[in-house]
Amino acid sequence: MDEVLDEVVPTEDLKKYEKVYHEQLNSGNITQKAQFEYAWCLVRSKYSGDIRKGLILLEELFHTDKEESKRDYLYYLAIGSARIKEYNKALQYVRGFLQIEPGNHQVHDLEVVIKRRMEKEGLVGVALTGGIVLGIAGVVGLAFALAKK
Amino acid sequence: MSTADFKVVLLGSEDVGKTSLMKRYVSDRYHSRPHNNTIGAAFSSKKITSRGRDIVIGIWDTAGSERYYAMSQLYYRDAKAAVVCFDLTERVTFDRAKQWVTELRNQEENCKIFLCGTKKDVIDEGIKPRAVPPEKVLQYSKGIGAQFLETSSKTGENIGALFQIVADSCELPMQKQETIQLQTLKKKNNCC
Ligand SMILES: Nc1nc2c(ncn2[C@@H]2O[C@H](COP(=O)(O)OP(=O)(O)O)[C@@H](O)[C@H]2O)c(=O)[nH]1
Ligand SMILES: [Mg+2]
Repeated sequence: MDEVLDEVVPTEDLKKYEKVYHEQLNSGNITQKAQFEYAWCLVRSKYSGDIRKGLILLEELFHTDKEESKRDYLYYLAIGSARIKEYNKALQYVRGFLQIEPGNHQVHDLEVVIKRRMEKEGLVGVALTGGIVLGIAGVVGLAFALAKK
Repeated sequence: MSTADFKVVLLGSEDVGKTSLMKRYVSDRYHSRPHNNTIGAAFSSKKITSRGRDIVIGIWDTAGSERYYAMSQLYYRDAKAAVVCFDLTERVTFDRAKQWVTELRNQEENCKIFLCGTKKDVIDEGIKPRAVPPEKVLQYSKGIGAQFLETSSKTGENIGALFQIVADSCELPMQKQETIQLQTLKKKNNCC
């Protein structure tokens, strides 16, 4: 199950999607598809700088894309955060997600993996600090979108 | 860092039952209420005995939606085998399965292909008819040298058998693989 956090994107793929994204950036018209595919590669890079860049892109998508896509961004925000060991933040994304889709096995599994990592790294018992990651508006909008499905 | 001896990827349209297939195989559970759509790809693994050896088989369950199309490439490239799934009662999903097969054969010739027709129980109970005549599917699967199985995650039928076949053919030393495949095909010829 740890694979979801350990898999690493091959450099040539990262480069490929980076190129598409930058071409669109230069032409001044970035599609959500290109941004998501690039971000998706970035959060599974082995470099934390890349992952952080990916998280910024995902957060932007979360706030701008349509409601039914938000679950995907939330999931990868959790993955990316966990990969740079920001476990508390990752768990907040996970819990935000589960509030809206309580029975989601895939996200429950991710929660288990993250908690196991924290345990292994001696981080258990560290209180959850910090504010709500995405702000109330984001999560409420998501709840609304998913309830409609 | 991987714990699996080899990886299998599940491909196919959304809603054909890939996640249900993996769940039934890995935890012997089936939920009749609709699953949440898979995000990107989910991973599970299971121990299996193949040719007298205990191995761990890792399964990537892909989303299947168009939004993740580009990403599925990254998963099958890493996989030793692909189980291409289609819903026995939905014609379009068979057409999509054939596209997956073509793509796999062009991109990743070392990835073994297996064809899986899902939701057999729906046909057995007469709820919906078959969308594609079985001879057609068999003919197609023979043409591409892939084994074909019909499964039901609801009843569990053929689920273990499917992964056993996959594991057994991935566990073989390279040079023996061709002959065995021919033998199984011949066997199929005799019985059908
Ligand atoms: N009757 C029946 N329904 C199934 C079977 N497998 C999956 N389903 C249903 O088909 C829908 C889609 O299943 P899911 O596994 O999420 O498909 P995926 O999108 O390919 O992962 C769900 O409502 C399942 O309950 C099966 O073997 N028999
Ligand atoms: Mg699924």
